[in-house]
Amino acid sequence: MEIFVGLATVLTDPILMGWVFAAAVVGMVVGAIPGLTASAAIAMLLPLTFYMEPLPALAFLYVIGKSGRYGGSIAAILFNTPGTAASAATQIDGYPLARQGKAGKAMKVATISSVIGDFVGEILLIVGVAWIAAIALKLGPPELFTVYFAAFIVIGSVIGKSVTRGLASAALGVLINMIGLDPISSTERFTFGSFDLTNGIGLVPLMIGIFVLGEVFAQIEERGKTAEMVPDGDDAARNGLTWAEYKPCMPHVIRSSFIGSFIGMLPGLGSAIAAFVAYGEGKRRAKNPEEWGKGALEGIAAPESANNAVSGPSMAPLLTLGIPGSTIGAILIGVFLIHGIQIGPTLFLTSRDLIYALFACGLIGIVMYGVIGYYGAAYVGRFITRIPTQVLYPIIFLTSFIAAYTSRGNLFDVYVMVAAGFLGWGMRKLDFNPAAFVISFVLAGGAEETFRQALLLSDNGVLIFVTRPIALLFLLLGFAALAVRVRSLNRQARANALRDA
Amino acid sequence: MSVGSSPAPQAVGLALVLLGIGATATSLSIPLDQYGRWGARIFPLAGSLSLLLLGGIELLSARNISKEPTDTRHLPAIFALLALAIGYVWAIAHFGYLLSTGVAAPIAMWIFGVRHPVGLLIAALLCPALYHLIFFKLLGVFPPLGLWFDLLDVIGGY
Repeated sequence: MEIFVGLATVLTDPILMGWVFAAAVVGMVVGAIPGLTASAAIAMLLPLTFYMEPLPALAFLYVIGKSGRYGGSIAAILFNTPGTAASAATQIDGYPLARQGKAGKAMKVATISSVIGDFVGEILLIVGVAWIAAIALKLGPPELFTVYFAAFIVIGSVIGKSVTRGLASAALGVLINMIGLDPISSTERFTFGSFDLTNGIGLVPLMIGIFVLGEVFAQIEERGKTAEMVPDGDDAARNGLTWAEYKPCMPHVIRSSFIGSFIGMLPGLGSAIAAFVAYGEGKRRAKNPEEWGKGALEGIAAPESANNAVSGPSMAPLLTLGIPGSTIGAILIGVFLIHGIQIGPTLFLTSRDLIYALFACGLIGIVMYGVIGYYGAAYVGRFITRIPTQVLYPIIFLTSFIAAYTSRGNLFDVYVMVAAGFLGWGMRKLDFNPAAFVISFVLAGGAEETFRQALLLSDNGVLIFVTRPIALLFLLLGFAALAVRVRSLNRQARANALRDA
Repeated sequence: MSVGSSPAPQAVGLALVLLGIGATATSLSIPLDQYGRWGARIFPLAGSLSLLLLGGIELLSARNISKEPTDTRHLPAIFALLALAIGYVWAIAHFGYLLSTGVAAPIAMWIFGVRHPVGLLIAALLCPALYHLIFFKLLGVFPPLGLWFDLLDVIGGY
């Protein structure tokens, strides 16, 4: 019922609706620019939202995340360059369709599938989140610590090419979070006598550095390359979409929406994994697998619905446990903190109205980007080809400095942002995992707090984590995820070696 | 433990081991609490030892991986941008935001390939003015004032 109150609140507030609309447009454009991601846009715009009321601030960034995920498909289909990692799966069938002069049709399938996937994810979030929060309220520090532990292992090991480098990224994130004063004893840790470091490393400059400045460094390697757009096709017969054409996509959309929603709930996995799992599963079950990869509409529908279905459920661990399920979730933590809102299971006791109004903004945002995308994706594509990247990235470079400064009015934060930017570029270059680094940085404080609380409760030291069944279950889940990942990588490496031989 | 080979496995493994050793030594120097417990040390130490262990694994697995050449063509431009970034923050601290941005904007554009003198001049004038207007006027953020010189003192505050 609360969601209807939330919808009424949002629909009767024209300023809030304006922010949601702006977010739908900004996210779509940013997502469609090759190289830029919704995470980068949100990190850059985060300091601006400090001057806004909590609901418009959260809604603006949340909807940018949603439409940014969709925007990636525009670049994948029209430019043959995925705007986001997840839309690389859309590109497999999207670009061949565009080459056949059916770019408009492909975009319509991507839009409808994204909207359905996003709605399924959002509704599952709305229905399930209060229930998860009620369970989370019953978890004690030992159980919460093991949830954090499992999250570290999953985030570090599951994404990216290298397990060791992914886990090292997570360990590095934990170490960087330890800089400053110990929250319990106020002992200095890793400060090396610097007064600035006693305040710790700020989340906002770190995020801006990793996601924005890091991308600017990476774009130097792309200088001179221009995005060339495939004609979107004016032929109404080839680019219109009928129900008969879309009907075979529906089973794939429904299955992929649930795949995306499930993957979204697991911390750190994100859209890219959801999109590729959905594509693989769709192709395996398809009646026309031989057409997949050559321009099958179902090959666009499956990954796009999974990609966007991740968005809503990825908020569940953030809102109920304080564990960000994605980089966007990690950035949203900054907004909650700045506005003095404590995230975690008690959020549904203290800020219930705000959360349901945020979900309502999400639903309205989906409709908005759906309508804009259905009728205007080609215009967005044309607009992007006119943006000169040699001007765009220097502007993003300059904006990242003032955005980092604005967060706390402190030039030390700007130095932190520069260091994080270079580190972010280096991590990408060397197959480390920047997302695991940032999410672990965010998780480390809560993990340490619950670990130390659990030890205070325990009569048997660390054995408390194996004597409580739920805690043990999460510990085993973490190790099992690691074992499965190592096994699958070894199998892949063996297959690659055999192929090369 | 990766699909195919990740770049520079030996150098990365060695860097992780060295970082792990340094962080472990620093973690062990964190004072114990008043009851002699390791409370504040545990997490930093766990993170440091994890790095050390992962660096060791990376070094061991590097022996079986053939070396791949690394693309270094863009390194001069990347280091130029890094130098600009550090110099820009230093200049903001000493000469204020307006002047520093007026210099940094055309240099950043030049690094990205803009060579048109009028374009660079427009960037030098427009960027500081626009950022100043949006952040320091409209949003009301207090600007970083220059330690040695600030254009805001000359043009009569902000």
